[in-house]
Amino acid sequence: MKGGAALWARAARQIVNIVGLLLAVVVLNFLLIQTAPGDPAQVIGGEMGGASPEVLAQIRAQYGLDRSLPEQLFTYLGKVAHGDLGYSFYFNQPVTTLILDRLPATMLLVVAALVLAVVVGGGMGVLAARKPDGALSRFVSVVSTAAHAAPVFWTGLMLLVLFSSVWPILPVAGMVDPAAQYSGLDHALDVARHMVLPTVTLAIVYIAQYSRLMRASMIDALHADYVRTARAKGLSERVVVGKHALRNALIPLVTMVGMQFGQMFAGAVLVETVFSWPGLGRLVFDSILRRDYPTLLGILFFSALLVILVNLVTDLVYRLIDPRIRTGRAA
Amino acid sequence: MSASLPTTQTGAPQGVASPAGTALRLFLSNPIGLGGLIILVVLVFAALAGPQLYGVDSLDIVGMPFQPPGDDPILGTDYLGRDILAGLLQGGRASLAVGFTSALITVVIGVAFGSLAGFFGGAADTLLMKITEFFQTLPTLLFAMVLVTLFGQHLVVTTIAIGIVSWPPTARLARAEFLRLRGLEFVKAARASGAAPAYLIWRVILPNAAPPIVVSATLAVGTAILFEGALSFLGLGDPNVMSWGLMLGQNRAYALDAWWTVMFPGAAIFLAVLGTSLVGDAFNDAINPRLRKR
Repeated sequence: MKGGAALWARAARQIVNIVGLLLAVVVLNFLLIQTAPGDPAQVIGGEMGGASPEVLAQIRAQYGLDRSLPEQLFTYLGKVAHGDLGYSFYFNQPVTTLILDRLPATMLLVVAALVLAVVVGGGMGVLAARKPDGALSRFVSVVSTAAHAAPVFWTGLMLLVLFSSVWPILPVAGMVDPAAQYSGLDHALDVARHMVLPTVTLAIVYIAQYSRLMRASMIDALHADYVRTARAKGLSERVVVGKHALRNALIPLVTMVGMQFGQMFAGAVLVETVFSWPGLGRLVFDSILRRDYPTLLGILFFSALLVILVNLVTDLVYRLIDPRIRTGRAA
Repeated sequence: MSASLPTTQTGAPQGVASPAGTALRLFLSNPIGLGGLIILVVLVFAALAGPQLYGVDSLDIVGMPFQPPGDDPILGTDYLGRDILAGLLQGGRASLAVGFTSALITVVIGVAFGSLAGFFGGAADTLLMKITEFFQTLPTLLFAMVLVTLFGQHLVVTTIAIGIVSWPPTARLARAEFLRLRGLEFVKAARASGAAPAYLIWRVILPNAAPPIVVSATLAVGTAILFEGALSFLGLGDPNVMSWGLMLGQNRAYALDAWWTVMFPGAAIFLAVLGTSLVGDAFNDAINPRLRKR
């Protein structure tokens, strides 16, 4: 059972790595609180959070701000280890509650945009790769270059203007129609209608990147020896393209998607701000506006946690797609 | 000491086109790269000379708020009645300055980390790459937002923050190049003739690792301009310095009534990023002739 032992050793290494990274994020947050201009208690309380002298004194006691720096760090680490990311004096709620309340809306948006980007971008790339010098291929190259350069907040604003004054067929703000009080299927449809513009806005940049990437890796795959062999064996074009080439060409795409999850999450901040989507992005925007530091730092920690988890999932998906990794020969 | 070292591998034998010369010719023969270069030159010229030539102060109130584009001023006015065109010209200075300076910071930190990790390997490599990995778990834009919120809305803070969050990909790239090059004959020869590590890194390997780093630096300029726009859009811009992002951020709330106040600054950012990515792509094609057919 050599493979089993190797697997466990790998898992143990990964856990150590993850704990180390999370610890580093907490230490970073601590250092940011300490080095930011002004009193750390003020930072923890939030500048405009309306922290009264009593609250500040309470914070000083809670976080041990009168003690030495290492002691302060341990107090802070202990709090985070117990799931306490601090208290927002502006929202008057624990930061963890604030984040978890808004997480579903953001995840809905990010996952929808991701699926859209992979399906449309990947699909365009595959189609373009079949004729590298064809019209579609050129179209994909031009559009992806342009879309890649367009700032997401600007595309969002332009779509907002277009769909609110010129062509008002889609809602441009919020997640539901507050006046309608829908329930059940109607509610889901209402959310779906509200989702269209934010999702498309967030997906555009990634559609551009994925189509480009998929086009290049598919062209590579179609010229590879195993594809020639598959063709020589007399397999149908569908099997050759769909199974042999596509499966290998997907690997760079999976890497890219995994690596960019964090960026997409941050992109959602901008998109949510444009379309008043009630997710984490709005929370970030509000906490910037109110200088609500605990919330902001909590979100930074939380998003790093998400990125780490996604990296883990990417690694697993990898193993599913690439047989060379699965058998462990590559390691 | 340096006289005895084989330094010619960075240049070319006489009579044969140097790699750099070939790359430059390839770049100039690529219409897409030239197009990008023209966009960038026009934008830089407009930012440098435009404010004097146009002669309107971007912070002056020249008329009624929300005048649509058309006659005077040609691109309309913003929510305070300031001239949009004057804002674009003046704002280009800050946006482009942030773009180039942040990209420089990105490259300096990235190359420092990547070259040391790739050259020394072993424990140094492990440590430096762990730090790089750590920075890559923080979503860049979010991290930049936290830095600017905590340390103040000032153009210098914005510039440094963008540099601090953007360097990891450059570090990885530089490391890969150093790993590849350090085992090659000419590096071994230089090492055998007694060159110090600093000399090997700076004079022997870095010049040969430069082309892909230049490509990533070019693209970093565009990313930094996007970041400046995003930060200002969220209200984190320096309120005292006109920039394309600031125009977007300040007029955002009025976008529905006055589309021109946000469309033109956004288009300026778009053009600048497009220019840098076209130039970057063309550079990349020029140094990797193998890929040109793609």
